[in-house]
Amino acid sequence: MATSLKQYKAIGDELWKTRTEKISAELFTLTYGALVVQLIQDYEDYAEVNKQLEKMGYNIGTRLIEDFLARSNMGRCSDFREVGEVVSKVGFKAFLNIVPTVTHAAVPATAQTSSATPTAPSFVLTFDENPLADFVELPEDALEGGLWFSNVLCGVLRGALEMVQMQVEAVFLSDVLRGDESTEIKVKLVRYLEEEVPVGDD
Amino acid sequence: MSHHLFLLSPTDTPLYTLTHQSTRPTASNTLPISSNLPAWSTSAFAGTVAALSGAASLSSTSDRAFGGVPGGAGSEGAGSVRGGGQDRHVIQMIANASLDAVEETMRMNGAMYLKAVDKFNEWTVSAFVTAGNMKFILLHESKNDEGIRSFFMDVWELYLKTIMNPFHTAHTPIRSSVFDVRVRMSAKKYL
Repeated sequence: MATSLKQYKAIGDELWKTRTEKISAELFTLTYGALVVQLIQDYEDYAEVNKQLEKMGYNIGTRLIEDFLARSNMGRCSDFREVGEVVSKVGFKAFLNIVPTVTHAAVPATAQTSSATPTAPSFVLTFDENPLADFVELPEDALEGGLWFSNVLCGVLRGALEMVQMQVEAVFLSDVLRGDESTEIKVKLVRYLEEEVPVGDD
Repeated sequence: MSHHLFLLSPTDTPLYTLTHQSTRPTASNTLPISSNLPAWSTSAFAGTVAALSGAASLSSTSDRAFGGVPGGAGSEGAGSVRGGGQDRHVIQMIANASLDAVEETMRMNGAMYLKAVDKFNEWTVSAFVTAGNMKFILLHESKNDEGIRSFFMDVWELYLKTIMNPFHTAHTPIRSSVFDVRVRMSAKKYL
């Protein structure tokens, strides 16, 4: 079913307004900040912290997708392009009340199933606001150590999409906390997972 | 005409200091005490220093005169010391001495902005107390209640944003350059 972009936006808005329980944004931000700082103190290695954040995100994502599908009643996405649209307009909107901009990577129009394409389809999410990183200023050694503060988001994307039969790689390209111009995550499709029984498919 | 700002933690540790030179033309208010000073003491500091030490020459004696100042005043400004040499000690001593007056006013007045709590020759000390018992002390020469109130509110908001940063440990010196730049901009705007 070809749901138009406007409809995705409307679905996302409606989900956020009616079917999401809200908590204080500052509590959320402070909790996440405390979590990252504690991880840094425990591991003392920024690459390891990035990895742990991603792992935590993965665990969150595998559970989050169930919640998302139950509330939104969305059907299967027809192609990876649609995945990008749904993730940004419905997914992020419903959980964080932000709508990152999606930029799709140029893919040959004929090859929509990833296993055939030489270039894997991907999209880039550009965030103009990030509730996880409100008020945060990275100290010097975090900047040098290569910390991606919101790396949990990459894990969430990977975990959630894996539960719907897509193996993806999600990485940060840039982060305003590091002094870059914008915060961007690139999500690249590795392959479709064919073996498992699709989740929520009746 | 300069202003000196001190941010003090609840344990009276200075977490941030700033000296700001105001570019505004100031209405010269001649205080009775400064008119009694000898004609050779022209600078504002000279008035204070001369009145305190009672010495004829300024630079060398003021160092010795304040050698006996309680160690607290000399060791303040552990954050970033800006501004001139021995005058710094005078300023810090005035700020330190005003803390008693601040606490007394705090007990009586429940508001956050306590206007002028103490006066020392030409220096007036205004204070602002936050809910977490942080004290913002401002030493200034001229009267500027509304401007100082706006400045304090601005500094308060900037301070809140700084402590919300998860990487900032509470009650440690504030070294963020973003905070510093913004406080200076606010000082330029209001003082």
